[in-house]
Parts: sequence; C-alpha cells; structure tokens
Amino acid sequence: MRLRAGRAGGSQDVEETGAQARVDDVQLQQLGGPLTVGLLVLFFGLTMLISLRISRRKENADAYMTAGNGIGLGVSAASMTATWIWAASMYASATSGYVYGISGPIHYGLWGALMILFIYPYGRRIRAVAPRAHTLAEVMYARHGRSSQLMLAGSNVLGSVISLTSNFIAGGALISMLSPFSFSQGIVVIAGGVLLYTLWSGFRASVLTDFIQVCAMLGAVVVVIPAIFFAMGGPAVFVEGASNLTPQQTSFFSSDAFLNQGAPYIAAVLAYAIGNQTIAQRLFAVREDLIKPTFITATIGYGATIIGIGMLGVVALYAGINPMEGDLNNLIPQLAGTYFGPVLLSVFFIMIIGSLASTADSDLSALSSIMMADIYGRAGKRKADPRLMLTIGRATMVIATGAALYFAGARMNILDLLVLVGAIWGALVFPVIASFYWEKVTNKAFTVSVLAALAIFFPVRFGWIPMDGAVGYVFDVVAVVGVGVVAGLMTFGFFGARPARIVGVVAALGVAPFGIGFLHDYAVLSGSLIAYAVSTVVCTAMSLSNRTGFDFSRIAGMTGDFDVEAVEPAAASTAAPARSGSQIPQTR
Amino acid sequence: MTPFWLTAYVLMWPVIVAGVLAFIARAFFKEWLDAHRRGEPMI
Repeated sequence: MRLRAGRAGGSQDVEETGAQARVDDVQLQQLGGPLTVGLLVLFFGLTMLISLRISRRKENADAYMTAGNGIGLGVSAASMTATWIWAASMYASATSGYVYGISGPIHYGLWGALMILFIYPYGRRIRAVAPRAHTLAEVMYARHGRSSQLMLAGSNVLGSVISLTSNFIAGGALISMLSPFSFSQGIVVIAGGVLLYTLWSGFRASVLTDFIQVCAMLGAVVVVIPAIFFAMGGPAVFVEGASNLTPQQTSFFSSDAFLNQGAPYIAAVLAYAIGNQTIAQRLFAVREDLIKPTFITATIGYGATIIGIGMLGVVALYAGINPMEGDLNNLIPQLAGTYFGPVLLSVFFIMIIGSLASTADSDLSALSSIMMADIYGRAGKRKADPRLMLTIGRATMVIATGAALYFAGARMNILDLLVLVGAIWGALVFPVIASFYWEKVTNKAFTVSVLAALAIFFPVRFGWIPMDGAVGYVFDVVAVVGVGVVAGLMTFGFFGARPARIVGVVAALGVAPFGIGFLHDYAVLSGSLIAYAVSTVVCTAMSLSNRTGFDFSRIAGMTGDFDVEAVEPAAASTAAPARSGSQIPQTR
Repeated sequence: MTPFWLTAYVLMWPVIVAGVLAFIARAFFKEWLDAHRRGEPMI
C-alpha cells in the first residue's frame, strides 16, 4: 500500500502499493491488514483470556475496586509501572529529546520517575490512616466532608476521561499510520478491546493484565531502542550529525531544557502523582508492607523506559530527521515505520498498544471506583447495596468509553485539557497532604484554598492579566513561594516537617534572585507554582485559626468494605474495620 | 561528549529496562507458584 498525504487543506492524495505508505514524502513500512488484525486479536485475546480466568459469577464490589487490598509485589509493581507509562509519555519524551537535545529525555522521564518515589512515603501514611479505602476522595470525605470529596472526585473524573481520550487518540493515530485501517476504526477497536476485558472484573482484571502488558511493553523497549539506533547508523550518527545540534542541545545542563520542560514538569507530575486515582487505587490494593518496593520498582521501570524511548528523539535530532507533517507526535511511529521490517514493526506496535491499553484500563477502573464509592457509596446515610454498586461501576465504564470515543473522534485538544486537570491537582496537593498529617486542617480551609488557587491560576496561565511592571513581579514572588512549597513537599514525606521547612525556605530564597522578574514569562510553570503557593498559604492560614483537632483513627472505620457479606468467612474475620456506624464525617 | 559515551548513554536504558522486567517477572511467578501451592487465587 502506498499513501501520499498532502500538507495543505488536509486533503490526502493516497497511492497504495504493497505494504508501504508514503506520507509527506516519507516512505513508511506498514503492517498489512491481516497482520494488524492478528496482532490486535492476539493482544486483546490474551488479556481477555486472563480476565475470563479470574472472573467470578458473583463479583465482590470491594474486590472490583481494590482487589482485596493484598496484591503481591510482582502484580503491583507491574501494574504501577504499566499505569504510569502511557503512549503519550513515550511520544512526549521523544519530543523532548528532539527539541532539547541530550538532556531533554532526562527532563521528561527522570522527574516523572522521581515523583513516584517522592510520593511513596505519603502513600504509606495514607494507607496507614485508611487501610481499606477505595479512593482518595473517599478518605477526604471521612476526613473533611462532601465538598472536599467532590473536588477530588470531580478532578479525577475529568482527568481519567481526558487520559482515556488521549490513549484512544494515540491508538487510532498509530493504527492509521502503520496499518491500512482508518483512525476511526482504530479508536473503536482499541476502546472495544479495553472495555471488554475490564468490564466484568474491574480493577482485578486491570492489574492482572497489566503484568502481561508490562512484559510486552518493556520487552519491546529492550529490542526497539537498540534496533532503531543501529538502523539509523549507530555511533556514527553522533559524528556525522553533530552539526545539527545547537550548543544548548549538546549540553547536559541545558537551561532551555530545564526551564521549558523539566521545571514545569516537576510541578505538574507531583500533582498528578498525588491527585490521580489510578495511582491511589494501586496504593490501596497492594499489600501494605510492599508499598515501598512497589514504588521503587515502578520508579526505575518508568524512568528507564521513558528516558530510553526519549533517546530515539535525540538520535533523530542528530540524524537530521524531520517529523512527518511537522507533528512531533509522529516522530516515534515514523522512525519505526522507516527503519523496521514487519517483525520489528509488530513488536513496536505491541509496545504502543500495551502502553495505551494498560493506562486506559486503569482509567476505566478509576472512574468506576469513583462512581461506586464516592458518588453512590458514600453519599448520605443509607447503606450502599454492593450489587447496585457493581452495576454502577460497569455502567460507568461503558459510558466513559462512549464519551472518550466521542471526544477522540472530535480530535479535541487534549493538551489544553490536561493543563486544566494538572492545575486542579496542583491546587489540591498541599491541602490533601496536610489533611493526612495536620489535625487542624478543616473542610472550609481545604475548599477555600483550592478554589482560591484555581481563581488565580487561570488568569495567569491563560494570560488574562497583563504581566507588565509590578504585577509581573508580584506574581513572580508568589511563584517563588510555590518553588519552596514543591521543594518542601518533596522533602516532607521522607524527612518530616522541620527539614521540609528548611529546604522549602532555602529553595525559595535560592530561586528568588533568578526567578523574580523572569518567571512570569513562562506561563505554564508560573501558573502551576502559583496554584501550589496560593493553596498552601490559604489552607495554612485558615487552619491555624482552628482550635479543635481531628482524630485520624476515625478514618479507618469510615472507609471500610461495602461488600462484607460476600467476603469469605476467613477473610472477613481478618478484614480491617468494615464500614460501621454513620458514614457522615463527625468533624469538619 | 564522545560518540562512545553518547552510545553508552543511549543503550544503558534498555539494559536497565531488561533488569526491571526480570525482577517483576521473577516476583510475579514466585507469587503465582505460592498461590498455586496454597490452592488460592492469585488476586
């Protein structure tokens, strides 16, 4: 098959011969129709088979959300790694390598990896306080009340639908580029495949299939990176293509890479790691003593995979390759289509399908848990019906898949939406973390601080306020406080409050001379830092005036199992406190 | 940086990935065997 795509007006001049596609003057190898179908059937058939083997005629509502709170290291580490790696992160890391040179992938992958590590102490605290919870929002309900719960749940619904959409788009784009099938056919197949194996057993299916997906994905990475590197010329490309790089692109300490990629990403991924239900769900599912090794394994696995794929962008930069249609997201599939034959192209295809399916099934499980636990289970005084909960969970998956298909078909601008969710989670980070450690934080302080942070974030991020003169300096000072907050939060989990305060103050003072008068030029970074700073300052100020404290031991009793009748007798006797008494928080 | 070190910089990541994959697979099959011996479902 030969395809010729025109640049102007979106019109396509398509010419097909054999199993190659010529797009934008780039000759691409394609998978044939039967091979594409075969790979998809193999991948989704295997995951479906696993899902069927673990399915029960009568599923347990709690297991549907957290798989019994006792999964082992192999499954949990595979699942955490697979969930954190998504197709977009592979493309973005390669983009970072292509744009910023040799330090680019580090400024994408390393920070994303380290954030998994930085949140594990928080994970242990959250699990200790709420050992059998299902969602973070559910814990916020027990700690504060409905408004805090709904803020977290709402941001997660938005975030997971966007993530789901993004993964469908990545799948559709991959299939349309590397096979004879269209984008629309691609997104429908991906959505249908993921929904089928996740629908019946929920989170249990999601985590177990993650093992197969992580094997396929990491196994492919081991092969794909050296294969493309040597196909592009190997070490010689660094000699022949050295003139294609600017001095910044050849530097390991590129300020361009740090300020445009690394620094905004540090702020964003800390928020994603704390606020995202897909991570929280695995935190509640893993055996409590395995939280640390799970997070460490995922840190190394994610970092090496994403930085490694980013290296392909660096090599492409040295080789002087131009992305098809000027779209940097095409870079990785373009390299595979240019340099691989059918066998390696199939390996690459499975790698991307594995990365997007593992994240998409996690999003579906997260969405269903939020609707089951937060919207239905913890709403009001009545006792939740586990059968109805399961129906709600499954219906949520179907509706979410439909919505994501609609958004994917409309090709909505996912990046803009992700910025929005990142900001919401950025505003939530300090109030959420403080709520687990500081007994004085109130529901009012939580809610007001998040809303205040968002109210200031939007004008800064989208340039609604002119940043000329004194206004810019004022916002820079606030952003510098945000730097201190981020540094402090990253320290607090490991070393406690006092070292965190010292590190926060030192970081803010260290950045101030360089940042003030300058940070407002970087709207994404500035907006995120301001969201952190405002929510922290407002939440702290309002909480300090609170004279009563919260008893954290109450949370465990308010976040127990829903489906205790269906649990085996032995398991029920060892289970931590089931939902008891009133579901209404007693302290605001 | 010389081509040798740049090559090492590119190729070190798949080596680390292979190590992580081996670690995860080992842990998974150990848990699977344990569950099989006990006659309990793995998840």
